[in-house]
Amino acid sequence: MKSELTITADCIDESKLLSHRKMSEEMGAAIYFLGVVRATEESKTIDAIKYEAFQRMAEHQFKLLFDEIEKRWPIESIRLVHRVGVVKVNEPSLWVEVVAPHRREAFAACQWLIDEMKRVVPIWKKPLALNS
Amino acid sequence: MSVTVSFYSYFKELTGCAQTAENLAEGSTLNDLYQQLAARFPRLAAMQKSTLMAVGVEYRERGYVLQEGDEVSLFPPVQGG
Repeated sequence: MKSELTITADCIDESKLLSHRKMSEEMGAAIYFLGVVRATEESKTIDAIKYEAFQRMAEHQFKLLFDEIEKRWPIESIRLVHRVGVVKVNEPSLWVEVVAPHRREAFAACQWLIDEMKRVVPIWKKPLALNS
Repeated sequence: MSVTVSFYSYFKELTGCAQTAENLAEGSTLNDLYQQLAARFPRLAAMQKSTLMAVGVEYRERGYVLQEGDEVSLFPPVQGG
């Protein structure tokens, strides 16, 4: 399984990511998930979220998750991009793509990956209300 | 022995620092280190139940026996995505 991880302060460029998609002829499913910063966090209006990562550990923990996915599902490739730094409301903070033979394993692997990421990958968020 | 301790997220605000060096007796565990830190940083002690601990890039339990030069990290529950 190929995996590509990017933890970056740069904006997520969806069109560029999509243009770089690679699928072999046996693959029948390519799904992607975009996580976007909402204007409300815990019932309060916010302008942005500041993401902080323990980068070296985050990269290691993501690798462990990718290794586990390879054991569980016949996934051809995963690409994941997570923002760090300030991400404004309505901007994406997370982009995940899974390529698999069928949709069922693609959706299952993507859901599992995001759930586990929120449990073990050391990334934190701090809501920002810029005018207060 | 000496270990370094890094704090992440709002733990930096609770302790007022991002990193500290700690001296411990040989054979000390992560829990021994935590108790030492909790005594110095009372606001950190209040977060005991939710504190996650890692050595290097691996999560470790409180009974983990520390080694000279270990890089320990303390942080609150993660919130990526």
